[in-house]
This record gives sequence, structure tokens and C-alpha cells, in this order.
Amino acid sequence: MGVKTIWTKVYQTLASVRTGIFLIIVVGVISAVGTIILQRPTSEPGDMQRAYAPETLAILDRLGLTDIFHAWWFLLLLCLFCVCLIFVSVDRWPNAWKVYAKPVRFATPAFRVSLPQTVQFQVSDEVEALSLAGRVLGRFGFNAQPVAENNSKSLFAERQRFSVFAVYLVHLSLLCIFAGYIVDGIVGYRGTIMVPEGQALGEITLRDNRGGNVKKVLPFLIRCDGAGEETYADGSPKKWWSKLTLIESGKETASKTIVVNDPFVYKGIRIYQSSMGQSSTPKTLTFLATPTAGGAPEAVEVPLSGKAALADGESLSVLRWVPDYYVQDNEVYKKSDDAENPAVQLGLTNAKGETKKLWILYAQMNSTKGQDAPYEFAIKDAAWAKFTGLEVSHQPGQFGVWTGVILMAFGLLIAFYTQHMRIWATIIEDGKGGKLLWLGGTTNKNRDRFQTKFELISTALQAELGGAGKENAENTLTKA
Amino acid sequence: MSDARVEQQQRPASGTVLLVLVGLGIAFALLVALLAAAKTHSGPIYGEANMLYAALVLYAGAATLYMGYGVTGIERYVNAASLLTAVGFIANTAAVAHRWSVAGRPPFSNMYEMLLSFVWTLALLTLIAERAYKVKIIGSITMPITVVSVILMQLLPSDVRPLVPALQSTWLQVHVTLAMLSYAACALSFALAMMFLIQDNMKTESFQALTSTGMVAIYASMLLTRFRGGALGVTAYDLEAKSEVMVSRGHALFIRIPDLGWLYLIVLLSALVPLLLYIVGQLKKDESFFDMASKGMFVTLLLQAVGLAIFIARVKNGRYGAPEAEGLYATSLPANPFLLAGIVGGIVAGLLYLLLLWRREGLQKMMPPADVLDNVTYKIICIAFPLLTLMIAAGAYWANQAWGSYWSWDPKETWAAITWIVYAGYLHMRITRGWRGRRAAWFAILGFAVVIFTFFGVTYLLPGLHAYAAG
Repeated sequence: MGVKTIWTKVYQTLASVRTGIFLIIVVGVISAVGTIILQRPTSEPGDMQRAYAPETLAILDRLGLTDIFHAWWFLLLLCLFCVCLIFVSVDRWPNAWKVYAKPVRFATPAFRVSLPQTVQFQVSDEVEALSLAGRVLGRFGFNAQPVAENNSKSLFAERQRFSVFAVYLVHLSLLCIFAGYIVDGIVGYRGTIMVPEGQALGEITLRDNRGGNVKKVLPFLIRCDGAGEETYADGSPKKWWSKLTLIESGKETASKTIVVNDPFVYKGIRIYQSSMGQSSTPKTLTFLATPTAGGAPEAVEVPLSGKAALADGESLSVLRWVPDYYVQDNEVYKKSDDAENPAVQLGLTNAKGETKKLWILYAQMNSTKGQDAPYEFAIKDAAWAKFTGLEVSHQPGQFGVWTGVILMAFGLLIAFYTQHMRIWATIIEDGKGGKLLWLGGTTNKNRDRFQTKFELISTALQAELGGAGKENAENTLTKA
Repeated sequence: MSDARVEQQQRPASGTVLLVLVGLGIAFALLVALLAAAKTHSGPIYGEANMLYAALVLYAGAATLYMGYGVTGIERYVNAASLLTAVGFIANTAAVAHRWSVAGRPPFSNMYEMLLSFVWTLALLTLIAERAYKVKIIGSITMPITVVSVILMQLLPSDVRPLVPALQSTWLQVHVTLAMLSYAACALSFALAMMFLIQDNMKTESFQALTSTGMVAIYASMLLTRFRGGALGVTAYDLEAKSEVMVSRGHALFIRIPDLGWLYLIVLLSALVPLLLYIVGQLKKDESFFDMASKGMFVTLLLQAVGLAIFIARVKNGRYGAPEAEGLYATSLPANPFLLAGIVGGIVAGLLYLLLLWRREGLQKMMPPADVLDNVTYKIICIAFPLLTLMIAAGAYWANQAWGSYWSWDPKETWAAITWIVYAGYLHMRITRGWRGRRAAWFAILGFAVVIFTFFGVTYLLPGLHAYAAG
């Protein structure tokens, strides 16, 4: 078998509607399976472990069944379907183009027999009959034109010729959507980043579908200038916002306040508000300072990286902040990021510039009592920094997808609500020396609607002919 | 044909049957009134609750009259039913408008609001199908569905809930509007396809098999997901906080109602019996099995009604425990809309089958001819399919705005795509291969089965991103 015959075979197989339907059924069945077996990208890792035994999970993973929609064979299947769609369209295109560009304007006797709708009337004056037919067709929106091939003894009328392209438009739109999706699958990425208020970060954790920790560095830094949450009276979240500034090679290039459903789009990269949280590092800490010598306690608010002046010229700063501490070998260590059991090291600097270090170990005692200082400090309050949870995605293929969607909307409108209707009229001999006005028509879809229309036209034409040719009262309406 | 017509003319209008039906309708309206009274009626007379109540009474009247027409064939009933539907539709519109203005957004954000919009769409489509396509009998299928839906709504929490940030999107509203419209159109095409099969003289026992299959599917999926060692798992519901009880983020607590699992296992078996009898009858080519299957349908329907009553009674009273949480928790019907919809759906399907069993000839005389039904089914799908396409597109656009991905293959999306493929297949077969009649009708029925799975099954049976739609 030569290359050519193999190619012909492949082409024939892929250019058949049957293959296309088979492929789309396979895609449908596999997709359904993908909704029944938990998929890694859309499930929590814990859920996967709970749902399946380790051996089962290992087998499912190896077969690629836990991430069907990103498996190479699934993409291959989609590509194959696209190829099928292209071949089917290419295969049928010449025919459609012929109908569009070179319409059959004259109905030969053989063609006349093949038409589903025909009607004929006995007429005396063929010229008048034809012009009448032309006028009646015009009334129904058909622009009838004389056909030169038959010495203008025939008419050809059609409506909505463009309708033959509807199917190509729909197929093209599907290709656009698939192409966009495939482009995104190859060059697109999607990840998350948490940016605390006041900081600028530029590395996202990719959703690599395995729950891993693959990072990607963005071409810019995202600085969070502020973030906040509004809640309803019942405590459920109403609005999340963050004010973002993008810093590209050291310069501030763009800024926007984003909310959920209103992303920040910059150079094809989209930044979404996805969650909101509280950092375990406070912005400021407020201490209650009680003079050891006696006197009323005073509240002092200290920025985490800064100083606050006390009444008698001393200043207070926070040297260390540990959100959740433990002590080992007389050293303070961090246990976790939950700010529930903090330890704070304070620096009390007197007028001479001497700094005294004091510890508050919250779990033991919320005070610096007994540490030999002019004040006793206790933690009163903290203002926490917010961090904003952002989703960052780069999906250049989506323009193909949206183009496809719009094309499809038009394609479907044309496909379902327009139809190519063609009507031929010609004068034929009735075999007994008389003349007949013959009318025949066909359509590419929606037969019954056309049938109704054709019957209306023939009834109207009969009425007109009856009125015009009084001497010929015996008009016959026969359906072939 | 002419004989049948003579017979129809001579037969005296069967007033008693209608009297019974109207009586049932009134009893029904009273029951609903009791249900409604249980909820506090406040606000202006034109307010949502009152308008919805008015719509319910009118729809119930219309449904009764449509069914009366279905049973007796008296044309006058249709005119009255049509009028009641139209007036009910106005009240329904007022209810939708009031809620819209109070909430400041279209009513699509929870089960209650979605049903409100669904009922509105279904009533509208019924009126259109009746006026434009002269399918008069359609109301006897769609109006009972609206009545059941409005009653379900009475059981659901109807307070206007604030929207969480992700749901505050115009595109989401466009998406849900289109979903409602397209799903209602799919429901209508399903009803028309069933009517086609009736007019196409499909055997009554085949309808019995179809109904049984539906019932078995309902109870089997219920037990597959909720059977817990003889008990039935239901979602725990905090009556004071008016919210589900969560074990952890995104995981609702399932408490176990003891013995209800066994009861539903019995119901499942009783639904299986007629199906098996049908299969045996088919294999042995013995008609007597079909009679037994019909009797079996009575039995299972009775058991299902008992099951529903016990379900409601046990859900409403009593607190139940779960192994994964300490203490006892209450539950409520609104927290379990899918169980309730499944049981009620099965019973309604069974009643429709009984109507067919008893009144098939009368029904056939009243329905449009088969070819008209075939054609209208196709036309309705021609409306449903573009709506379905745009619905998926709007959903994708919203997802892209909300979390940065227009397509993430979550189960709801995937099943919406499968629905799209099935209807695309129907249209291809119809347009390019000229599939008509029975094959096309089965295709339309398959399409609606997939729609039902997408709407209920995915949220109920499969875990997914769209789980919040359940609350």
C-alpha cells in the first residue's frame, strides 16, 4: 500500500460524520468518567486519600485517571476531533460553495422531478403568467429573476442563500474554542500568591495539578498597598478588595484596586482577588505601660518597625516578634504562625541611648514584671496586617475562545433560524398543446416550514391566475 | 377515525370525575394554605409571599382543570385553565418583581429563587406552547410540575440572603437566567417527546418500564450515596442559625436517621419488581407479566407515598447523631432538597403513568397528531440549544472573571458540556441524517435525563465547585 492510499484511507475515515460522532461520544464518556473519579486539580489532596485506598490511588494515578482532562491522550483526542471537524468541513466545502456561487438557475426536466415541492397551473399567456409568478414570489420575499439559459421563459428565486455557510461557521467556532484551549494548555499558566499589606512579591505557586510547589517568577512585582474586607450584618463576607501596584524593573508601572469579579489585567496577565486573610505579623502593637514607681498606666502604640516615645523621654521599640513561641535552653523559638501565644522582645531606650531588652512571654505572664525597668509593659492590643490572596493567570488563548463563542452564537442563529429556500418557475408543454406554469422548490432544512410557505405561494398564485385569465376558468392545481 | 369522533360526541361529559378532581384541587389548596400559614405572612398585600400564594392557588386550579381536560376531553376546561394560568402568571411575575426589587438583584441565587424563576419560565412556556403551537394538553403535565415546585418552595428558606463576593456578578445572573430558560425548554421538549411516544402508539408497558427505570434510578442513587448501615444520611441543619452544620470547610455534616435506609431499600426493591416483571414479560413474550407489572406499580407507588410521609415526619421531628460528631443535631426539609425532589419526582412520574394507564384513549384524542409533536419538539430544542450554548459561555465568562479560568473541568461544567454534546447530536442527526419520530424522541428524552443529572445529580451525587447552589 502506497503512502497515497494510506493517506486517502485516513482522510476518508476522518472526513466522515460517523467518525466525528464516534469521537465526540468517546470524549463525552471519558468526561463523564472524569466527573465520577475524583480529579486531582479539583480536589483537596486529603479528599483523594480518604476516597481511595493507596493501591487504588496508585493505579488510578498511573493510568492518568486522576487527571484526565490534562492527560496527553485526552488532548490528543480533542485534537483528533478538531482534525475530523476540519476534514469533514473541507470535504463538503466544494459542494456548499457551488450552491452558493453557482446556483442551479434553470430547472432541467430531470431536476424538476427530483424536487420535493412542485405545482403546476394551466395558463394561456406565458409571459403574463411568468411576470405574475415573479410578483407573487416577490410578495413572499423572494426576488425572482429571469433565467437567460431558457430565453427568459424561466424564473429563479431564492432566499437566505448565506444559510448554507451556517454549519461552517459553527464548525469554525468550535475550532477557535479548541485552538484557544490548546494554546492555553501549552503556554498558559495559573497560580496563587499571598501578598501581605505593604510588601511587594513576584513569585507565584503554580497549580500544577499535583498539589506540588512549583514556583514561577512573574515579570513584575505585585505590591499590596492596602486590603480589606466588608461583611454583612450576619458576618458573611460582602466585599474583598485590595489596592495593587505593579513594579516592573524598579518602576511603578500600573495600579488598580481590585475586587472579586473585577480582575487587574496587565500585559496579558490577569490578577484576581480570590481570598483575604490576616497576617500573623502585626502592623502595630499596643502596650500598657505602668511606671514601676507608681502611677496611672498609659497605652503606647508601637509600630513593628519603629519607635514610640514614652512620657519621660524614653522610647520603646519591638525587637522581636514571635507569633507562637516555645522556650528551649533559655532561648525563644517559633512554634507556628498562629498568633495565639506570642512572645515579644521590647527595647526600652533611655535618654542616654542605652537600650534595655525586656521579654513578654504571653503564656507565662502578660507582663515584664520583675525585669528591672522603670516600666512594666503588658500587651494590650495588636493591629494586624492583612494579606491578600491573589490568583494570577496567563491565558492568551482565551481570545480564541471568546471569538469562537461569538462566532458560534451567530452560526447557531443562522443555522436554526434561516434556511436556504429556492424556487424555480418555468413554462412547460402539457403534452396536449397547452401551456403549463410549473413551480418547484426546495430548501436545505426545515422542510415543513418551507412546505407551508410553498403552499401559501401556490394558493396566492392560483388566485392571481384565476383573476387574470377569466377566459381560462379551468385552472388545475396538481401536485406532482 | 370517524367512529372515534362519533363516540366522543355522544359520550356525555363526565362531570363526576371533574367534580372529584376539583374537590381534590380544593383539598390541595387548603393543604397549601396551611403550609403557607405556617410561614409568617408579613409585608404589603402585593408582596412576594402573598403573590406567590395567589399564583399557587391559581396554578393549582389550572392544573386541576388541565387534568380535568386530560380525563374528560371537554374543551371548555382548557379555556378556563388557560385563563387561570395567565392570571397566575401575572401574580408569579409580581412575586418575582417584588423579590427582585427587595434583593436588588435578579432572583437566582439559591434553590428557592431558582425555583421561583423556573416556575415563572415554565408557566410562560406553557402559555406559549398552547397559544402558538396549539398543544393544549401540555398544561396537564407542566402545571402539576409548577404546583409541586411552588409547594417545595414553601418548604425552603425564602429570606433574602446577601451574596458572597464571588456571586456578585452580572455575568452570573446572565448565566443563571439562560440556564433556567434553556432547562425549562429542555423540560418542555421532554414532555413533548413523551407525548409523541404516546401518539406514536408506543405500548403502555414500555411507558411502565420507562417510569420504573426512573424510579429505580432515583432510589438507587439515593441509597448509593446516603445508605449508612440501615440508616439514611441527611444533611444536619441548624434551625436557629438557618444554615447547614459544617464538619470542616466545604464538608457538611451528615446525620443518620435510623432505619430509614432499610425502608428505602424496600421501596427500591418494590420499584424494581415491576421493571423485572416487564423484562421477563419481554423475554417470554407473555402479556400477563405486564398486568402484574402494572399492579406492582400500584404497590410501589403506595410504598413511595408512605416513604415520603415517614421521611417528612422524621425529618421534621427528632434529632439524630453521626459518628463523626458528638451530640444530636436537627435537620430540615430545606437542607435536603434533592432527596425531597427525588421522592416527589418519582411519585409524580408514577401518577402520570397511572393517568396514561387509565385514560390512554382519551388522552390520545386530545393530543396533537404525532408529526406535529415531533416537529414542535424539534423547534423547542432549536430554542433550547442556542440558549444552552450561551448559558455555558456566560458561565465560562463569569468563571474567568471570578477565579481566572474559563474552563476548569469541574463536574458541573463537564456535565453541561455533555448536555450540549447530546443536544448537538440530536440536531445533527435530525438535520443531516433526517432522524425523526421515535429515534429523535428517545434522543430528546436522553437529553433531558442528562439535564436532570446536571442540575440535580452533579450537586447531589458528585462533589464540585458549585456545591454552594445547594444552600
